[in-house]
Amino acid sequence: MKDPKKWLAERATAPGTLGSGVRQADGKIFCHSADESCPAGRMEKILRQFDGMKLTLFKDTVPPRWSTWTFEQGQIRLVARADGWLFALAVRSESDALQSLDPLTREFLSLKTGK
Amino acid sequence: MAQVDTSVKDSEPQHRVLFVDDEPDFLQMLAEAFAPLSQDRWQMHHAGSAAAALEMLQQQKMDLVVVDVNMPQLDGIQFLKILNEQHPGLKKVTLTAFATEEKRTECLANGAELFIEKPKTTEGFKSVFVMLDGLISWLPRDDFQGVLRRVGLQDVIQMECLGRNSSVLEVYNDQVLGRIYIEDGNLIHAAAADLIGEPALQKLLALPGGSFELVPFESPGERTLNASWEMLLAAAVRVREAQAAGGTTVNAEGHAEATVAETLICSGKGEPVYEFQCADAQTRVRLLQNIAYHAEQLAQILPLGNFDRLEMQLANERIVAQSRPDRLVYVRVAGSPSAA
Repeated sequence: MKDPKKWLAERATAPGTLGSGVRQADGKIFCHSADESCPAGRMEKILRQFDGMKLTLFKDTVPPRWSTWTFEQGQIRLVARADGWLFALAVRSESDALQSLDPLTREFLSLKTGK
Repeated sequence: MAQVDTSVKDSEPQHRVLFVDDEPDFLQMLAEAFAPLSQDRWQMHHAGSAAAALEMLQQQKMDLVVVDVNMPQLDGIQFLKILNEQHPGLKKVTLTAFATEEKRTECLANGAELFIEKPKTTEGFKSVFVMLDGLISWLPRDDFQGVLRRVGLQDVIQMECLGRNSSVLEVYNDQVLGRIYIEDGNLIHAAAADLIGEPALQKLLALPGGSFELVPFESPGERTLNASWEMLLAAAVRVREAQAAGGTTVNAEGHAEATVAETLICSGKGEPVYEFQCADAQTRVRLLQNIAYHAEQLAQILPLGNFDRLEMQLANERIVAQSRPDRLVYVRVAGSPSAA
């Protein structure tokens, strides 16, 4: 993936998408807001939250390939690649964007990072 | 939108039904599908929002309100709450395009008599009509003093078995029609579509929405269930939990593909109330509490309402963890496909 920001802007666009973000293995973060309720800075915070999860939730085990946090009004999907890249996607409940969670997860896991 | 669609014949009994949905196309489909089926027995009214529906209810009495769960501004659940306060005797049914067990529970807990998935086919519309017509036509029997509400299919099976009764439960939604046979308090046979026995029972008990009816017992002609009803219901619950976990647990033929490897259900304080192959309950409780903590952190970053559950896909298993004030649930499904 040469341009994560472009990938996010082009791919994470289904109606109901709130925002998305990619953190590269080197720690560099790219985020895209798809809804005014979810500015890019929030997606960045969500990606950073994953480090805290690794320390507590997955300290004794391999982190999950992906995890979905389901709330009343939306879902947050976090996808971790073995090479250290991380993808976060936030969508509204009962929206078309829910259907994009799995395809985008598969796509992210199979993307060539160009590194 | 607020209009009366069907003509009224003075001589025939009329049921006034109000459909509330923000999708005009779907309301139009309902009107076209139900008008010939009701044969003028129904007087159908439509409202495009909860506010419009409340206004209509102020003006005239309805026998049944059918509410879309997912509406902007005031959604179906909030609308049910208002109806409970302002029109406590009114029969209410919820329709949704996205049926989940959580949503079903929430709707039934808020006074809906039925939770039905939105039909997509002509047959589906017919099935929904039959369900609604059955509900609207139902009158309390003379020999009953009370009304049973919000009772699930599993509850009825338990009551029939505990009472050592003989009966047949007809279970249906817009896609499936099945029967569960109970004889002298034992589950003896189940059939659903092409399935019989345990797969049929599991399929019927895992339906996300629909209706059921208790009818007099008649012999099925064969016996396909032999385990105790407690064991059969417990197995069905495990399959349903696995399905909720998102694993491909039951294929089209109803055969298990993934299995529930571990289950832990605790009170909100972390006291185990049900364990299945759980080696270390305390570790799991700590994990669930940690998950609740991280969910709170995420909710502070992006307010999306109350946390419901976390699903985690590992190499060859999937974990579903639920942390709520009243309960903690941990389910691990082995053999779940690793791809998203």
